[in-house]
Amino acid sequence: MSALVRFSRAARSKLRCNLLRHPYPCIPPSSVLGVDASLLHLCLDERSFCSQSRHDNRDGGIDLSQYSPEKIRNFSIIAHVDHGKSTLADRLLELTQTIKRGHGQPQYLDKLQVERERGITVKAQTAAMFHRHSFGHPDACDSQTAPCFLLNLIDTPGHVDFSYEVSRSLAACQGALLVVDAAQGVQAQTVANFYLAFESNLSIIPVINKIDQPTADPDRVKAQLKSLFDLDPKDVLLTSAKTGQGLEQVLPAVIERIPPPPGKCDSPLRMLLLDSYYDEYKGVICHVAVVDGTLRKGDKIASAATGQSYEVLDVGIMHPELTPTGMLFTGQVGYVVSGMRSTKEARVGDTLYHAKSVVTPLPGFKPAKHMVFSGLYPANGSDFEALNHAIERLTCNDASVSVAKESSTALGLGFRCGFLGLLHMDVFHQRLEQEYGAQLISTVPTVPYIFEYSDGSKVQVQNPAALSSNPGKRVTACWEPSVIATIIIPSEYVGPVITLCSERRGEQLEYSFIDSQRALMKYRLPLREIIVDFYNELKSITSGYATFDYEDSEYQKSDLVKLDILLNGQPVDAMAAIVHNLKAQRVGRELVDKLKKFIDRHMFEITIQAAIGSKVVARETLSAMRKNVLAKCYGGDVTRKKKLLEKQKEGKKRMKRVGSVDIPQEAFHELLKVS
Amino acid sequence: MLRSTFLPFFISSPFPPAKAFALRAYLPRPPPVCKYSSSAQSPPPPPPPPPPPPTSAYVHLPFCRKRCHYCDFPIIALGSSTPHHPDTDPRISNYVQLLLREIAATRAWSDDCSPLETVFFGGGTPSLVPPGLVSSILDALKSRFGMCDSPEVSIEMDPGTFDKEKMERLLELGVNRVSLGVQAFQEELLRACGRAHGLKDVYEAIEIVTDCSELQNWSMDLISSLPHQSQEMWEESLRCAISARPAHVSVYDLQVEQGTKFGHLYTPGEFPLPTEMQSADFYRTASRMLSGAGYSHYEISSYCKDRYECKHNLTYWLNRSFYGFGLGSASYINGVRFSRPRRLKEYEEWVQKLEDGLVVLHEDISVDTKDMAMDVVMLSLRTAKGLDLRGFAKCFGKSLARSLCQALRQYVESGHVVAMDDDRNMLSYPEFELKMSEDSDEMGNAVASIRLSDPDGFLLSNELISIAFGIISP
Ligand SMILES: Nc1nc2c(ncn2[C@@H]2O[C@H](COP(=O)(O)OP(=O)(O)OP(=O)(O)O)[C@@H](O)[C@H]2O)c(=O)[nH]1
Ligand SMILES: [Mg+2]
Repeated sequence: MSALVRFSRAARSKLRCNLLRHPYPCIPPSSVLGVDASLLHLCLDERSFCSQSRHDNRDGGIDLSQYSPEKIRNFSIIAHVDHGKSTLADRLLELTQTIKRGHGQPQYLDKLQVERERGITVKAQTAAMFHRHSFGHPDACDSQTAPCFLLNLIDTPGHVDFSYEVSRSLAACQGALLVVDAAQGVQAQTVANFYLAFESNLSIIPVINKIDQPTADPDRVKAQLKSLFDLDPKDVLLTSAKTGQGLEQVLPAVIERIPPPPGKCDSPLRMLLLDSYYDEYKGVICHVAVVDGTLRKGDKIASAATGQSYEVLDVGIMHPELTPTGMLFTGQVGYVVSGMRSTKEARVGDTLYHAKSVVTPLPGFKPAKHMVFSGLYPANGSDFEALNHAIERLTCNDASVSVAKESSTALGLGFRCGFLGLLHMDVFHQRLEQEYGAQLISTVPTVPYIFEYSDGSKVQVQNPAALSSNPGKRVTACWEPSVIATIIIPSEYVGPVITLCSERRGEQLEYSFIDSQRALMKYRLPLREIIVDFYNELKSITSGYATFDYEDSEYQKSDLVKLDILLNGQPVDAMAAIVHNLKAQRVGRELVDKLKKFIDRHMFEITIQAAIGSKVVARETLSAMRKNVLAKCYGGDVTRKKKLLEKQKEGKKRMKRVGSVDIPQEAFHELLKVS
Repeated sequence: MLRSTFLPFFISSPFPPAKAFALRAYLPRPPPVCKYSSSAQSPPPPPPPPPPPPTSAYVHLPFCRKRCHYCDFPIIALGSSTPHHPDTDPRISNYVQLLLREIAATRAWSDDCSPLETVFFGGGTPSLVPPGLVSSILDALKSRFGMCDSPEVSIEMDPGTFDKEKMERLLELGVNRVSLGVQAFQEELLRACGRAHGLKDVYEAIEIVTDCSELQNWSMDLISSLPHQSQEMWEESLRCAISARPAHVSVYDLQVEQGTKFGHLYTPGEFPLPTEMQSADFYRTASRMLSGAGYSHYEISSYCKDRYECKHNLTYWLNRSFYGFGLGSASYINGVRFSRPRRLKEYEEWVQKLEDGLVVLHEDISVDTKDMAMDVVMLSLRTAKGLDLRGFAKCFGKSLARSLCQALRQYVESGHVVAMDDDRNMLSYPEFELKMSEDSDEMGNAVASIRLSDPDGFLLSNELISIAFGIISP
């Protein structure tokens, strides 16, 4: 119980200072905005320009000059996985007639094929909307005469792997809708994302969604929000993104409770580079938040990170498709096309400014941290160039992957890639296959370990094969990365979860209750223990109720060994793993068994071994094939028999050869599943 | 005679250039174009010469009393409740009429085409067809293509479908080789595989056949790896076969085909079928016992007493041309393989089209050199003679022949592949390695031929051949 007290107290004290900074309903003091109060008043009264919800300037384009910061609200939608962020975004886009109701697919902003297939958001998406609202007088709101606001919405991913996308998105916002499923209540990513927003000093609007569900219990969720985050139940909005119930309150709350962006209109231009991607036709497209000043098409801009300068060829807003506006003003979020050739030039978190002006760069972001590494190889050895090309193109749109060339005796030339997590890795694979037609084999994911030798040298190991099995010097210490995991579960599952975590070498840091039925536990766990199947295991022992989130923490000393896999005495570099000494035997056994199952019998006997140095910890033999012969072969059979043999040949071609042993691709895929 | 039969087509009877030219001139269309796509560095050899015209004909007689449980051949089951005796069954005579039309409508290779040297009546159960009808087919073949002085004329016969009289009639007509489908010497096994005959029929049939003094050339078919078959049963069958003294024995390992009754019931390697190890042992046992009884194992599933190879089947394994007639039958002419429709109605329509000149057979389709090389490798490695590397190199390039040897190296060492010199002396592995290292491009191949060892290499022939395929067509 004391843990709970500690947790809540910490939360509250943090919260209090946040509330002081952004008391809501929030009308920022005019001094913050650098405009005087009378001007502010004027802006709010400007009716003449707001005759339509999507008002155009004379050219038929959108005139953004009417949207001074006071009439801009930038906000993110954050939540636990599947609590309805993207669906809520759909409704808001429809409400503002940014997209037509019933047109397009649900979760409109989830554009990638992976996103649509998996029903998850992977990439944060921005959409600009216009909405009329009579400030402070919701009752007197006259849709024709009320002032119009430029609202910039960012839909974010819920999964832990993509929390980097969330932090980046929040940097462009002053507020966030914290969406919570009315039946599920607060879950692990709700907690994580709340703190991300909270630590960025954003105004948080709690939204309890899916109230249409029969099991919805908004009061219980309100109580959780109160006890965990000190969010006032009176401030909570109740919605159903499915039925539309309660939606009308959302945008007024955004406009009234979230402060306008704080930039200075008359300072020199400073833009924060939020994201970038590569477009076949337009080249590199950067998403930017104009913090200070104004950006116009034709301007010369420079990058603080690279010193390179560019001409602005196109500028506009995501409405939600790219819509040229010719300009972007202080506080606005939009896109810039500037003739950058590769997204490598467009560094996320960079400051862009007018070339020749002098500005202080914006703080930017912490670089993304790669938690999981794996080798990617072309399934067909000769397709290296094709894979190279595909990876180059995809990393243009997903800069959070690190890529370095490597080679393996079993798999040939390939790449060592760093990912934010296993789902990220999976999604990257899938995108390579779907969007670029690549076919690949990936090696067992590993976390970055640190080894220290007797001569004092230290190496970071991202590829187990690179760790010499006999380096000629003694390993004096090893470290492995750890994470702080947050697990939320119905209280009856506490026992099994504690067992699971201690099997995974976890150390309990906190154990508290978020209400009478739900427990929250924090554990320090070695990253390696959670990357493969921890979440599945957790879900299965809790009947699917557990939710789980983690943030990376420091390296911990550990007793690590390199586990080699040998086929007929020959090590298969692509199958080497680094494991905890105590688990080496079990993991070795599992790997050997899997391989025995997936390697076909050969014309000779094959021994499959797992070994630490020269010590064999698991061993199996695959007996030789006895018979593979087609009995008859007469005139009429020739074509058919030949086809069979050709198929057999094709099967061999798809295999990877180590020494004289052919390893089917599935064997590599299967090894990924061994924890 | 044996020596010449065994040489693959491209060296055994290369066309004298003049004749080849003349032959081409007779053809309404040029012979197939060979696409050569080389994976080797050396310049591609000229495309192989067109194969010589067929001198063999396969005739399919699809009628059976009932379908055996393992059979996926194009057959027509007459059924037991039929009102007709096979001798008067209109289904048979109608079919033979159709066959005769096909033979008549088939254009001979050329006007001075070579006469037929082998004819094979396969099925089905050809012995169900009345001898009179068999005779009409032979006449048709003779008048269309000609027949050499002493052709091999084989017929498949099943126990229980013929008597002494029918046997003698067939021999009078010119049939001179019989292939008797015994399959097993155990009543319960015959029943389990759905054969229409019993053990009594088997002994009667053997007696009829062996009583015909003029018929020396007869073969017995056995099947191994049947459901519930034990090692003891298999040895018994082999002993019985040997004591019946056929000139030729074919031993088939049961192939469980999709769509057959066995295919539905059984999984290879699982009870009641023997395990892979047991069925490999069956194969070894056959090889050991038959060799011990003086039979030579001249092809993966064929054994014969000296000089009793089945000439017709050698056509297939030497990759020579052959005609095919009848339902579902395959022909191989001018380098092109063609299979006729497997359904009677479609076959009938096809014959009609052939008569109307609407089907162009075996022409105008370009033949891929790689395909040709794969055929040669696949077929020749089935034989004890093996693959003649010199001839192969001449046709498909030295470097390809060399790469084949490289790829099979490890299996020469393990004893699955036997390398031989020009005198067909077996090379030890060190000798083989030595020859390989001497083997410069100039010298050609130091290894004259390779074959699969008996029984180890034969047993894993699919593996070895598909490795070779991987070299020919990477
Ligand atoms: N009953 C009900 N279902 C909803 C509601 N809102 C969303 N859903 C459903 O919940 C599921 C998840 O919705 P999404 O909008 O994709 O959730 P998300 O938070 O964007 O998910 P991630 O991006 O993967 O984190 C979908 O099947 C929606 O149809 C709601 O108000 N009521
Ligand atoms: Mg989403």
